[in-house]
Amino acid sequence: MSKAPVDAVSLGIMWDRLIAITDEILTAIVRTAFSVGVREAWDLACVMFDAKGRSIAQASLSMPAFIGTAPLTMRHMLARYPIESLRPGDVLVTNDPWLGTGHTPDICVARPVFRDGKVVGFVMTITHLPDIGGAGLAIGNPDLYHEGLILPVCKLVEGGTFNPLLRDILASNVRVVDEVFGDIDANVAGTEVGARLVGEFMDEYGIDELQPLADAIIAQSEGAMRRELAAIPDGTYRREMAIESVTEALDLACSVTVKGDRIALDFAGTGPSAPVAINVPFCYTRSFASYAVKCLTTPSIPNNDGTLQPISISAPEGCILAATKPSPTGGRHTVGWFIVPLVMSCLADVLPGRVQADSGMATLMLVTARRSDGREMATQYFLAGGLGAMDGHDGRAAVPFPTNNAVVPSEVWERETGMRVLYRRMLPDTGGPGQFRGGTGQEAALVNQSGMPVDVSIFGLRTKFPARGFLGGAPGAAREFAINGTAIPPKGRHTLAQGDTLTIREAGGGGYGDPKLRSVEAVAADVAAGAVSVAGAQSDYGITIDAATGLGTRA
Amino acid sequence: MDWRVGIDIGGTFTDFAALDPRSGRLVVHKQLTTPHEPSAAVIAGLPVLMQKAGTEIGEVGTIVHGTTLVTNALIERRGAKTAMICTEGFADVLDIAKERRYDMYDLRISYPEPLIERAMRIEVSERIGPSGEVVEALDRGQVRERLQRLAQVREIEAVAVCLLNAYVDDTHERDVAAIVAEVLPDVSISRSADIFPFMREYERWTTTTMNAFTQPMLSRYLDRLEAGLGELGFAGGLFIMTSSGGTVTVATARRYPVRLLESGPAAGVHFAARLGETSGIADLLAYDMGGTTAKGALVRDMTPLHRYEMEVARVHEFKLGSGLPAKIPVIDLIEIGAGGGSLAEIDARGVVKVGPRSAGADPGPVCYGLGGSAPTLTDANLSLGYLSADFFLGGEMVLDGGAATEAIGREIAAPLDVDALRAAWGIHETINEDVARAFRNHASERGFDYRRSTMVAFGGSGPIHALRVAHKLLVPRVVFPAGAGVASAIGMLISPLSFEVLRSDLVELEALQPAAIDQGFAKLVDEAADAFSGTDVRRTDLTVVRALDMRYRGQGYDIEVTMPADLAGAALIEALPRLFADAYEGVFSKSFPERPIDIVAWKATVSGPRPTDSTDFAFDRGAADQARKGVRAAYFPDAGGFVETPVYDRLALKPGDSFAGPALVEERESTCVIGVGDRVEIDGHGNLIASIAAAEGTLAA
Repeated sequence: MSKAPVDAVSLGIMWDRLIAITDEILTAIVRTAFSVGVREAWDLACVMFDAKGRSIAQASLSMPAFIGTAPLTMRHMLARYPIESLRPGDVLVTNDPWLGTGHTPDICVARPVFRDGKVVGFVMTITHLPDIGGAGLAIGNPDLYHEGLILPVCKLVEGGTFNPLLRDILASNVRVVDEVFGDIDANVAGTEVGARLVGEFMDEYGIDELQPLADAIIAQSEGAMRRELAAIPDGTYRREMAIESVTEALDLACSVTVKGDRIALDFAGTGPSAPVAINVPFCYTRSFASYAVKCLTTPSIPNNDGTLQPISISAPEGCILAATKPSPTGGRHTVGWFIVPLVMSCLADVLPGRVQADSGMATLMLVTARRSDGREMATQYFLAGGLGAMDGHDGRAAVPFPTNNAVVPSEVWERETGMRVLYRRMLPDTGGPGQFRGGTGQEAALVNQSGMPVDVSIFGLRTKFPARGFLGGAPGAAREFAINGTAIPPKGRHTLAQGDTLTIREAGGGGYGDPKLRSVEAVAADVAAGAVSVAGAQSDYGITIDAATGLGTRA
Repeated sequence: MDWRVGIDIGGTFTDFAALDPRSGRLVVHKQLTTPHEPSAAVIAGLPVLMQKAGTEIGEVGTIVHGTTLVTNALIERRGAKTAMICTEGFADVLDIAKERRYDMYDLRISYPEPLIERAMRIEVSERIGPSGEVVEALDRGQVRERLQRLAQVREIEAVAVCLLNAYVDDTHERDVAAIVAEVLPDVSISRSADIFPFMREYERWTTTTMNAFTQPMLSRYLDRLEAGLGELGFAGGLFIMTSSGGTVTVATARRYPVRLLESGPAAGVHFAARLGETSGIADLLAYDMGGTTAKGALVRDMTPLHRYEMEVARVHEFKLGSGLPAKIPVIDLIEIGAGGGSLAEIDARGVVKVGPRSAGADPGPVCYGLGGSAPTLTDANLSLGYLSADFFLGGEMVLDGGAATEAIGREIAAPLDVDALRAAWGIHETINEDVARAFRNHASERGFDYRRSTMVAFGGSGPIHALRVAHKLLVPRVVFPAGAGVASAIGMLISPLSFEVLRSDLVELEALQPAAIDQGFAKLVDEAADAFSGTDVRRTDLTVVRALDMRYRGQGYDIEVTMPADLAGAALIEALPRLFADAYEGVFSKSFPERPIDIVAWKATVSGPRPTDSTDFAFDRGAADQARKGVRAAYFPDAGGFVETPVYDRLALKPGDSFAGPALVEERESTCVIGVGDRVEIDGHGNLIASIAAAEGTLAA
């Protein structure tokens, strides 16, 4: 039975079961992990591999960035520990940014799944640890060695026993030992749950190896991806894009070559690594590049080795998208996020119905203070700009992209920090005008009423280079930061004294298509909804809104 | 006046159940739902039920009613013209929402529109701080002036009052409500601190807008229903089912319509839990599958798991995060887009996918012969011989098996290059996997070990799939209760009056004084007890369950801890660290005795006496005395394919009867499919108990 080819009926049922197993592992980790990042922001992933180390299933709610890096991590692990060197009860680990996910806090944990003494596959989980030592996540870290402890690929657990030396080293290097071990143990236990569930699945269906199923999953997915790629006209499509480093501009470049049923993305022309912690190891670049291709071609097909096969990705070593050791990488997302819109823009002319104009993205702010009773306050504030527009689809206001953090309600924020939220408002006219409008940004004003100085460390972007519009659409408005009305640098640390007001104006998404083609009714509805002002309707769309009726007329 | 009646309005049928608690006799009836005027089916069906029961409406002391009216009004956006009054600077909270994508790959992501359009939102100057202090006094003149100005240009039927931090101190909200009542005496008013006094403005305010939006309409409906029942001669008490599995008075329902969301499924779970109690089953999975959706719930220690948030009016019906959040006490339901009408198709991967799209009742499955051409789960179950073409709904509807198999062959089997039977099995088994997956994930998130539990299966389609699902979950036993076809209506008539009051109030445990904890709970209990005014329940008959949400300071995760009934004051405070640690270990398998603890929220549930002590009901039986009514070819892959399978009449089976699968047990509304080697026994309560073949060894070990 096990050697029988997998027919389409069994394939669907068993494929979904493997995905269900990864989903269950993920929920088991979320339940048992200790850090808020894992439990509230779902900053984690689970991927299953066949015995050859090819990915075959992933948990549905995994972080997209990790889905893309996990297959490479598995390859590095197997290079260090070939399959014949693995024993039941072994668990491998690494957090090396170049082997893992691009920065040190993410820990990758993998367990071989044994059946009758043979490895039939692997289960890998990845979570963002609450601390890994060093100077923490800070934009100013000058090199990798400030960014904490690095574990090379090694056996975290050997034959069921946690390596005591490794445990001591970890415990000696991190700040919040309970939380860190809580999360590491949750990963180890999660992979154990996974190994058990795979065994039960094989029992139920009477199969003794996963290979025929894995082959069928990969072949079916690869076929679907290739059919989509073949439908894209052959050619090389190149775009460049300026983004901001800390103070100066940084160029990103991408050439996308579609040939038959293959696609190649090359980032030659991209600027050099920076002396601050925004450098991107290539694994992270590869991950977001394939994420962009996936969104454009086969968004509803689960990721696996098959969907990645026809995609090749390259970048010259030493550029900021293929940074070399020991470049600091803690804030690699502030550059890496831009890969997605860059790839989209390359393909805008050939896939006009699928691409999304640039999004306003989001602001992540680390907030720290020492309370009068000596207790530390350390928390995050998060605010999202508008999504980019698409053909037939306006961008949504205030939604993060390509990341997906969760909002902090004003009531929770005020209670936790003693800072008052003066207002949270949609910003009219910040969404890029277009036949389809970019998502509007928002403005928040926070007053420090806590009675103590509060430090804010901001990873701000899109302050000089706003979200681009596509196919005739106009750009969204740029992001702005100010303290007491005076503009401040977008990346860096600032101290808010008692009574100081920090104002954040989030960037709008880019528009899609010529604004002149936007219907009068749509613009009138925008005005009613607060997305466009009466003046904006006039200047951006050439439409006059009647104050009494709310109806519009185009000149 | 002893009879109790439960009436559950569903999408297709309005179900009735009547119980005479003296004899335990239970009579059921089904009537087609009248969507345009739901009370019409109630008024038309009640006399029929009385006739079947051989009694009259004057003998009915209590009617418990569940309605989907509130849910439907939110989905279809048919509600009152509603305005919102909120704190200056926060009118856009409804648009900004949660700032989160619920699908990582769908770039065309869309979200539900807020219930209140922007022009109907009024901002007013005021501010309460996070500790309840007045940061800025309420500008009353401004409230009056802005409301009057809006009322001059727009019709206003309801007002939602939503102020920041009102969950700590609602003085300003009360003041605003008083001004609204003065300026617009006829509108209904909902205040956020009254509807759900919890931290997190978006969720609390959205819930408040739902309450305001549905209040006038529900109130008119209840007027009509009360009048109609009165004309029939009903002189007893009318109670309304809520989402948490309890009932409330009509007055409470009018005040909190948002608490009526999903009351039907909640009643079904309540029935399953009480059935477990009667049968000595502490932990169970309730599995209810009908025509368009399946619902599941976990029952631990005879109590259904509950939570305080659900989603309404989703853009994608089964995608979490695509709807509007309603913060209410609710039974913790699993929703799965799987039912008899679920459409089978080939997805982008080139494999079989079933649901969540449904053929609904019109055109329905191909085999109904009402014009449907796309194959559904029911078509597959008919092709596999699980359903009888001649005994669907007791023979009221004849199914076209040939057309079902032909459609499966054309739409699924041919493109996949397999035969129609294999494709039908694939459709059936895909649903089994989907349901098993949903249970696994739900149980895993909650640390619930389903392997030691029992499944209780009901609904029109649940009993067809239950044993295969149980098999996948390694759940050793499945109970098919008598009366499964009207489980929600039965659940309603056995539900006690119950009301839950909760409040966010952050307190550091080490600073908590004995008097404060007692007063804190007493205030909640008093408030909850108010919901019983106008009933004949005495204060001394009320059961109180107190609970606290607690967490380690600095952590984001709250754990609900139930207070032992016999502890109060200093003794209770002393016990809290241990109680919290035990509850924490139950979820996370460890605890941290040294860490300081915060109390985050306070809860009290107050319930009246239970109407019945057991679910040991006597159903009216059919005339047949021969339980085995024949054989039919049905598909069992473990037995090698189609096998001649014995068919039993559920109503003719007697306590003590037992047999092994494969077998089919039919009743009017559903069929239990018993797999190869599974064993069935009828227990003393008339329930059909099946033990899973493969798990028997495991159980014994």
